[in-house]
Amino acid sequence: MTVSKHAWMGYHRPDGTVGVRNDLLVLSVAGLTGPCARRVAAALPLAKCVTMPFGGGLLGADRQLHIESLIGFGANPNVGAVLLIGSDIPKVQLIAQRIEATGKPVAAVCLDDCDHDVLTLTHRALRAGAELLLEISRNRRQPAPVSALSVGLECGRSDPSSGLVANPLIGAVTDRLIGLGATAMFGESLEWLGAEHWLAARAASPDIALAVTEAVARRARLAAAQGEDLLGNNPGPTNIAAGLSTIEEKSLGAVAKSGSTPIQGVLRMAERPSKPGLYAMDGSAYSPESVSGFVAAGAQLVLFSTGVGNSYVSLLAPTLKICANPQAAAVLRNQLDFDASAVFTGLNPLQTAADELLNLVLEVAGGTLTWGEILNEGDEVVARLGEAL
Amino acid sequence: MSVGPPPQYAAPRDALLLNQADHVATALRPLGTGQQAHVEGLKQTLLIRQDIPLCHKVACRDIAAGESVRKYGEVIGVATATIPAGTHVHVHNVKSQRS
Repeated sequence: MTVSKHAWMGYHRPDGTVGVRNDLLVLSVAGLTGPCARRVAAALPLAKCVTMPFGGGLLGADRQLHIESLIGFGANPNVGAVLLIGSDIPKVQLIAQRIEATGKPVAAVCLDDCDHDVLTLTHRALRAGAELLLEISRNRRQPAPVSALSVGLECGRSDPSSGLVANPLIGAVTDRLIGLGATAMFGESLEWLGAEHWLAARAASPDIALAVTEAVARRARLAAAQGEDLLGNNPGPTNIAAGLSTIEEKSLGAVAKSGSTPIQGVLRMAERPSKPGLYAMDGSAYSPESVSGFVAAGAQLVLFSTGVGNSYVSLLAPTLKICANPQAAAVLRNQLDFDASAVFTGLNPLQTAADELLNLVLEVAGGTLTWGEILNEGDEVVARLGEAL
Repeated sequence: MSVGPPPQYAAPRDALLLNQADHVATALRPLGTGQQAHVEGLKQTLLIRQDIPLCHKVACRDIAAGESVRKYGEVIGVATATIPAGTHVHVHNVKSQRS
């Protein structure tokens, strides 16, 4: 399949990135201002609202992830402008400055500036948000190359059709995207267990190979410290009944989403890749946290495979649901964006389906809606790693 | 989505060989003993010598005991017995290198 140089139409941002959507993000930087942010977003139906349920007293890696996620959501190319709502001025200013560095419009309102009267805060936020919506409505789509795309790769509620068809299908599309200069990220480092030798062999340098194996070893130590043995009874009886024989086979089925290109780095959750190519993100296996890690790292789209169905999607990055299970595909016609069941039933070759899926990816990049967007199933969930002070 | 009707093939595929280096194909439907299976990725049909449940693996060639077994182009375990082509590959004749 030939893909033209300017394969889709997107919103070009001042920092050179290109959005597949043009959203106003109403972003509450801590738990205290969440209700106000939701009230403002409800009054501005074109806005998208992300609230952080926590904020103060975070330590170390938790604090870093919290700040990087807030900045990353605001800096995501799909966001045309940001309305920050918070309590204390220094924190809001820090986040505002980092998002403003992308050149996009940012407005910030703080309780500290409003005598801690939340109605004053709401009033000011609503007015600022309305003005930002007018401003970004002047943006227009322009031709964009495939190389401007960054894609998160996820699976949730998998079944035997996932490892056999849906994930290898996503892998084939990932190979095509990377070949055209795009960026892709896969995460859920727990699921690399048993496949880490294969991932390490694909690393672009020995340091990256070491980071892959260390990420898996660290997850195993985390589990062991809580008395869980990741290799014991894995694959479990249900996996075995479904035909999976070893942990290697199970994990290879999960990481088949990553395709076959070299791994250019191991990222923290919310860490933006420095150059195009394929990246491994050492993050949670829980889909909402994993996907938000990709979105905060700049992913404009998510390719999400499911076996029996999974309604979760990113709020900010259109999420394509891909399923090869014929029963689920028949039932979930308003959840699944790409029906790969013809590959599973042997009627369509996998490589043909990969070309069809790539076409759909570019169509959605250009504005076609996903079911998750239509049904408003999106959210962003930032992982918490440990206790706060 | 803009996906048209799937192209028609001489015969629908019965099993999928994910990588040319693989020793095993995965059944896309239950396969019966004596059947000549059409395997996507194999030039010839494969004679099925044992019933293979849906999504279970069938050997595409003879595998010696002790040999590495490949799927996804990668080693998924080691054969613990001789596995003739067309027979079931599962926990009774392949084991993890990690266990």
